[in-house]
Amino acid sequence: MKSYFDIIALNLREHKENINQIARLSIADLKKTYHGSALGWAWAVIKPVFTIFVYWFAISIGLRSGKDVGEYPFILWLVAGMISWFFMGDAITGGTMCIRRYSYLVTKMKYPIMTIPTFTNLSNLFIHIILVFVVILLFWVMGFPPTVYLLQLPLYTLLMFLFFNAWALFAGLVSAIGKDFANLVKSLNIAVFWLSGILWNIENVADNKIIYTILMLNPVTFICYGYRNCFIDHVWFFEQPKRLIYFLCWYLVLGFLSIWAYKKLRKEIPDVL
Amino acid sequence: MKDTVIKFDNVTKIYKLYSSTRKRLLAIFFKDIKYKKKKAVDEVSFEIKRGDSVALFGKNGAGKSTVLKMITGVTFPTSGEITVNGRVSALLELTSGFDQEFSGRENIYLKGHILGLSDKEIKELEGTIIEFSELGDYIDQPVRTYSSGMKSRLGFAINVNIKPEILIVDEALSVGDTAFRVKCKEKVNEIIEKDNVTLLFVTHQTAVAEDFCTRGIVMKNGKLIFDGDVHEASEYYKKMYNIKKK
Repeated sequence: MKSYFDIIALNLREHKENINQIARLSIADLKKTYHGSALGWAWAVIKPVFTIFVYWFAISIGLRSGKDVGEYPFILWLVAGMISWFFMGDAITGGTMCIRRYSYLVTKMKYPIMTIPTFTNLSNLFIHIILVFVVILLFWVMGFPPTVYLLQLPLYTLLMFLFFNAWALFAGLVSAIGKDFANLVKSLNIAVFWLSGILWNIENVADNKIIYTILMLNPVTFICYGYRNCFIDHVWFFEQPKRLIYFLCWYLVLGFLSIWAYKKLRKEIPDVL
Repeated sequence: MKDTVIKFDNVTKIYKLYSSTRKRLLAIFFKDIKYKKKKAVDEVSFEIKRGDSVALFGKNGAGKSTVLKMITGVTFPTSGEITVNGRVSALLELTSGFDQEFSGRENIYLKGHILGLSDKEIKELEGTIIEFSELGDYIDQPVRTYSSGMKSRLGFAINVNIKPEILIVDEALSVGDTAFRVKCKEKVNEIIEKDNVTLLFVTHQTAVAEDFCTRGIVMKNGKLIFDGDVHEASEYYKKMYNIKKK
């Protein structure tokens, strides 16, 4: 079939030509997720608030841990990290199912399938952006108005979005062949969550260089701590060039894998789904 | 000279049959996983000109559906070249090309957009489609609540009204009650005559095909075995079938 560069070019072209369609389908995807329930859109906020409360309760009250970080109460530190996880957690598992979920676009009509991960992630992103504004407001209400460091938040969001687009393309294609991959990812998701410094501060293990480095290599940690750079730690992304480079390496690997999967599986998938 | 809208050049489609999903999954990563090959379409070549109406005959498993799917661009050939010029509207498995959670109206827009129509064009067609489908107030209910007859009617209404250049009909005219069938036939006839639409028609009922088409293609075990006048093709197909029966 085509070369890797052809597929990258095709990918860009498909996105450019179908930009309106992507927007429409992402809004439709959003509606689909939330309609059919009485509270509808409220769930987009209720679910994260509830989750954060449960974790905060378990850690602060139950484990008597969760010390304040600098001048920030632990709950705000938790919120700043968790908010990115709500996107990433959904994107990790949702990504594996995106092509199966929209199988009718693959088997019943001629549709550029590389845009399926994009619009499913985009629908997640809308909710994420709403939550970001809620969090900014929360910080403000608790006496921490926005700082100049918040300006780099869109960059982290963009990196996160691009990263999980590549992931969803790869994982969605592979899971379309067999659900086993989706099940594997689902079980690994818990491990990723607990090893990502979302709930506990990775700086706690900074004295063990090896473990610390391994944990910091995790792209989920990069995004999570990137969000904390904006809200809590007040560090610029270019002050941590190593982390950024690690992350970009991951992105290249994943990008390669997704193109490889497309090249290998595009013709087979309509026959299997 | 009429221009060619569909061209098949030595097209072969082989399905890979693995003994289990596990093997299929492993085959992504390992080369030497064994599978059986099933040739669904075997070195088929033909050309269809603009405005032609062609009937495709063949028993179950002859490869008709695979040919149609390749024309719509849903499935890809294993080898050979396929050229298709024009907007293809396919009435394949009418009941399943919908997003179940969307209302009928939203599905009209979805299909229209995917076929490359603008909002404005769809808005103009919307009324005609809803009227043709006879769905009335149900048009704003989610498609998952529709009966299979309702889905077929909507599917048919969308596909024939969306201004196709190539219309593919796969047994679809057997949906709905007699009155609706008659209406469908009239509509198909109308767009063939008025808009110079190319028609590809798959059926087991040779009489219906002879009503619509001028040319007939007979397929057997993935091979194209007859291509010519629809009446001759129909005779050929019937004869083949009868011999098999005895």
